Amino acid sequence: MIFSLLVLHVAVCAVLARAGRRLGRGSLLVGAVPPACSALWGAARLGDSQPATADLTWVGGLDLAMTFRVDAFAAVMTLIVSGIGVLVLVYAFGYFGPGTAHTGRFATTLLAFSTAMLGLVWADSVWTLFVFWELTSVTSFLLVGHKSTDAAVLVAARRALMVTAGGGLVLLAGLLLVTGAAGTTLISELAPVDGAGAGATAGAVLVMIAAATKSAQVPFHAWLPGAMVAPTPVSAYLHAATMVKAGVVLVAVAGPALSGIVAWRGCGIAFGVASVVWGALGALRHRDAKLILAWGTVSQLGMLITLFSVGTPAAVLAAVALLVAHALFKGALFLIVGEIDVRAGTRHIDELGGLARSMPVAFAAAVLAGLSMAGAPPLFGFVAKETAIGAALGLEGPEAWIVGFGVIGGSVLTVAYTVRFLVAVFGPGPETPLSARRPALSAPPAVLAAAGVAAFAVLGPLDSVLAPAAVRLSGGAAVGHLHRWPGLEPALAVSAAVLVVGAIVGLAMGGRPGQAPADRAARWTDASIDGAVAVGRATVARVQHGSLPVYLVTMAAVATLAATPFLAGISLDHIVAWDRPLQGVLAVTVVGAAVALCWVGTRLGAGLALGATGIAVASVFVVHGAADLALTQLLVEAAIVVGFVLAFGHLSRSFPMTGLRWRAVRMAVAGLGGAAVVVGLGAASGNPVAAPPLAELAAASVDEGGGSNVVNVILTDIRGLDTLGEVLVLATVALGVQALARPSASRGSPTP
Amino acid sequence: MIRLGIRAASPFAAVVGCYLLFAGHNNPGGGFAAGLVFGAVLALRTVAGFHQPTYGVALVAAGVLVVAGVAVMPLLWGGPLFDQQVLSVEAPLLGKVKAGSALPFDIGVAAIVVGTVIAALDGLGASEFAAGPPARSDGGERE
Amino acid sequence: MNAALLLAVGGLTAVGLYLLTGRSLSRIILGYSLLGHATVVALITAGGPAGWPPIAGQAAPEDMSNPLPQALTLTAIVISFGLTLFLLALARRQRTLSGDDLVEDDLEDRRIAAAENAPTGPEDPVAT
Repeated sequence: MIFSLLVLHVAVCAVLARAGRRLGRGSLLVGAVPPACSALWGAARLGDSQPATADLTWVGGLDLAMTFRVDAFAAVMTLIVSGIGVLVLVYAFGYFGPGTAHTGRFATTLLAFSTAMLGLVWADSVWTLFVFWELTSVTSFLLVGHKSTDAAVLVAARRALMVTAGGGLVLLAGLLLVTGAAGTTLISELAPVDGAGAGATAGAVLVMIAAATKSAQVPFHAWLPGAMVAPTPVSAYLHAATMVKAGVVLVAVAGPALSGIVAWRGCGIAFGVASVVWGALGALRHRDAKLILAWGTVSQLGMLITLFSVGTPAAVLAAVALLVAHALFKGALFLIVGEIDVRAGTRHIDELGGLARSMPVAFAAAVLAGLSMAGAPPLFGFVAKETAIGAALGLEGPEAWIVGFGVIGGSVLTVAYTVRFLVAVFGPGPETPLSARRPALSAPPAVLAAAGVAAFAVLGPLDSVLAPAAVRLSGGAAVGHLHRWPGLEPALAVSAAVLVVGAIVGLAMGGRPGQAPADRAARWTDASIDGAVAVGRATVARVQHGSLPVYLVTMAAVATLAATPFLAGISLDHIVAWDRPLQGVLAVTVVGAAVALCWVGTRLGAGLALGATGIAVASVFVVHGAADLALTQLLVEAAIVVGFVLAFGHLSRSFPMTGLRWRAVRMAVAGLGGAAVVVGLGAASGNPVAAPPLAELAAASVDEGGGSNVVNVILTDIRGLDTLGEVLVLATVALGVQALARPSASRGSPTP
Repeated sequence: MIRLGIRAASPFAAVVGCYLLFAGHNNPGGGFAAGLVFGAVLALRTVAGFHQPTYGVALVAAGVLVVAGVAVMPLLWGGPLFDQQVLSVEAPLLGKVKAGSALPFDIGVAAIVVGTVIAALDGLGASEFAAGPPARSDGGERE
Repeated sequence: MNAALLLAVGGLTAVGLYLLTGRSLSRIILGYSLLGHATVVALITAGGPAGWPPIAGQAAPEDMSNPLPQALTLTAIVISFGLTLFLLALARRQRTLSGDDLVEDDLEDRRIAAAENAPTGPEDPVAT
């Protein structure tokens, strides 16, 4: 089923890629079909305790396989990814008015992203996860850069790509270290890793950094507000509900294995708490409604990372609840802002006014979603935040103070920016003129907002779905339950205080005029990306200079270095001076002829010296007892010398001179290269294998091959297939040479 | 004078090539060596101004067909690829003559080598010599 | 292993590498041929000590030189023969086109390097 769904996604993607231009806006609705199927399947799996698995092995010995496993948590994520995917695609149908260009391309890319995201949450093998992780980065880049004619859009898209794809590289390194320490590549089999090994610790930190880049944690957060230049359906889907959750999902699924490592928890809590506070402050300062939400997302993601990093059962349960709640309320709020943007033509809070009257449905949905975000009853966000505060209060030691500060302080700020958002967008002011209503724009946010109420109403069944997911993510420990009304406990008092303080702050900030803060983080991020690109260019300019001899010398020098380890392997016991004294003489002759070849200044002389070298080599074969080789070598050499003279006979007689210093470099590298070959061969001779099966070969040659020349029988019979390949090489050469012989073909007739 | 020598030597060289071809299975020699000898004869004749052969690619194609045929032939009767078939004939004069399927294989190889040499003669511009000494200067001017 | 032949291999490799890194196509081909020689001698040397030609019936099997590397070497000789012919044809072609046999710099690479060094950015070097 897993593969069928993925294939369905990919197939519809392919169809849309081809027919998207013709289908136009309709392709958005066609693209909603596969996510709908996945969402239904995910919903059907929600209560199922038996995980669904599927795998497709590629290289078994290396554990390279596409392995998927849909457990309780993955089913919840499936519902979020695909369910919101359907709503967003329907919404996009309204968002892009009739006749908008490139809607087919948009639908294709969005569906491709949805597929990648599904693969990511379903993945069980870390390599599968990595591949889909990178695919989400790429598709996200394409979606952010959808309006590809705008320079600011391109800058933002590049920033998103560089940060998330750079994080992908970090993830790869981290996964290599972690899987090396854990001894498995399957997430479901990752046993808890103790904090003992340096490799495991470094790997865990790298994985956490990767998660932080993807989930826009401080200081990698700048790409997320920048990505708000994307069409609103993209912002709602990728940058609120799904893609930015990829990092959270990674922290969640790796949590059971890695939460024993102190550095993992410390890093995660540091990223998370910093993002909670900094993101919320950003949301309080910005004046673009969409940016307020984006900064709020940074803050909420920080909360999720914090809770999952803490890793206690209560914290994990709170995180799962908050994950679902955030997808619902943040998705709804983004879609509402998108509707305002489309109908009012602006989303700047100073220019909006009177929307509570003129957009009643959106207003109601925004209030419901906003209150859920603030954590007010009777909404699902209240349950999540209540559980989170309870989990924070249940901690001990210094962690309790930091996490408590993050969760409670973050909650206060969340209430504050939520109130500010609602007041500033829907509050009093001069009436903003609106364009006509579009049902496809209002329905999806209303559905999402209503889902927050419904989730609170049917908390029992929902708890039976979310609790198993949390159990899975806390390594099997009992996690307790979500409560609609926790009773008179410290957490409730804190919650009430949070709401009151936050509301006061929010109301105080709400009407205040001001200036949007300059985005320093984005500037720094762009500057470091520019720096990396400049270094890359400088390196290319230095390395890719275009001179073939220099390339060759570089390669030879590097290859020479590779022989260094063999120096230790040379064993003089296996080396004799010569088998027959004549070999010594011939060796000197061969090298002498070769050196003479170097010294000869004319082409004709060089050709003859080449012939002399070849004849000396043939003599080596004779002495060695290789008669066939000697014969062939002699004939080949004769042919080559004739060919050399034919090819170069007409040229000026002497070779061009080159600079002295360059010649010295070439000589040094050449000498070292020769030494390296000697070293390598000498080391190889230190490991002699069994004596060659001469008698068997001779017997087999006569009996099976029907000939007594063993070499020839090997060539024509035992290794006949190799010889076949070899003569095919010759045949290819013949064709190539023949083709080169026709000079007029390319020069003579002008091509039309 | 050189042309005369080459003309006289050609048949002998051809005989040497044939010897290498047929002896190769039991003594030093074989398809490559034979092909190179034939090729050398043709190259010499071309450079000396005799007719330049033009059937290089055709020879290569024929050789490839023969070689591939020998390779797959045993499959027809269910043997493995390159299975050696030895035919033993009592001939008058020569006594016992054995010929395995290695012989056609070697002949194919020799054909490919000769074809390659012919193609190379073309590719390396031996045609400037082919028209013979009197025409050679014309050829040079054309170049 | 045989030190004399080992040194011959080293010498052939060194001279071959030196010639291969030259600027003249004819010397590159010479260097390529020498590297081919180095390879075949290395194969033979690594294959075992010298002996009688491996022809059944003419020498006792234990006196024979190892035939397997010889077969491999024969293949190597023929392949390097073919490739050398091809290189020679390429050189001849180069000669007919440019009248010389110098290996020129890769102009495309040069252009890229120059463009990356230029402070103006990568937009306009196509025009140059």
